[in-house]
Amino acid sequence: MSVHMDPGLQPERTVMAWGRTLLALLTVSAIFLRWLPTHGPLVLALVAAAVVTAGGIFATQRIRYRRSSRGINAENLHADAGGVFALSAGVVLLGAVSIIVALTF
Amino acid sequence: MPPLPEPSSDATPIPRGWLARKLLPGGTEPDPRFTLANERTFLAWIRTSLAFLAGGIAIEAFTGGLFSGPVREGLSVLLLVLGMLISAGAAARWLSVERSMRAGTPLPLPLLVPLLALGGAVAAGLIIFLILAG
Repeated sequence: MSVHMDPGLQPERTVMAWGRTLLALLTVSAIFLRWLPTHGPLVLALVAAAVVTAGGIFATQRIRYRRSSRGINAENLHADAGGVFALSAGVVLLGAVSIIVALTF
Repeated sequence: MPPLPEPSSDATPIPRGWLARKLLPGGTEPDPRFTLANERTFLAWIRTSLAFLAGGIAIEAFTGGLFSGPVREGLSVLLLVLGMLISAGAAARWLSVERSMRAGTPLPLPLLVPLLALGGAVAAGLIIFLILAG
């Protein structure tokens, strides 16, 4: 377990920001369920994609906390480019499939 | 009372990943606090974009008694496209801020802010107009 000495609690705040994003993804996945009676089974793929993205955040929260604590201790933290681009691409994909579902089913 | 044990602070730097080396070449690592602040700002934009997605789905799912099919689909697609633009723009902004922090240059202006203000206002105005006109 990494312990950091940052009085600004940066690792906590960042992990909680990811946690809020996780909850927002789950909310969106729940709203997708409203489409299920009218728009067919592709909606289930949307729900699954949102839940899997949220699960990916959940599964990496501990690693994220440890990484940022170590980064603060070492005064040297590498930016999490993979996490940022994976999440952004995931949300763009959710939007694109939503447009297809809205227009064709 | 016995003294508290010394916290086991691990300060070993972690090697940089392939993607970070490719996307963020040159410069020096900025203050870790700034890197984390940039990440939190990115996440705030992502949540904004998720709110637009939720709005787009809700317009399509809940306004059947209010708008005709094409109007409903048009409004829904407008909000979904805005959500996608904000999500892609959030990653682009994160990258350009990270790059200018590495290079020590002034931070770029946020193009996302006028997009959000204009897009949100147009969508809200359109919905109000369509409700009153219908």
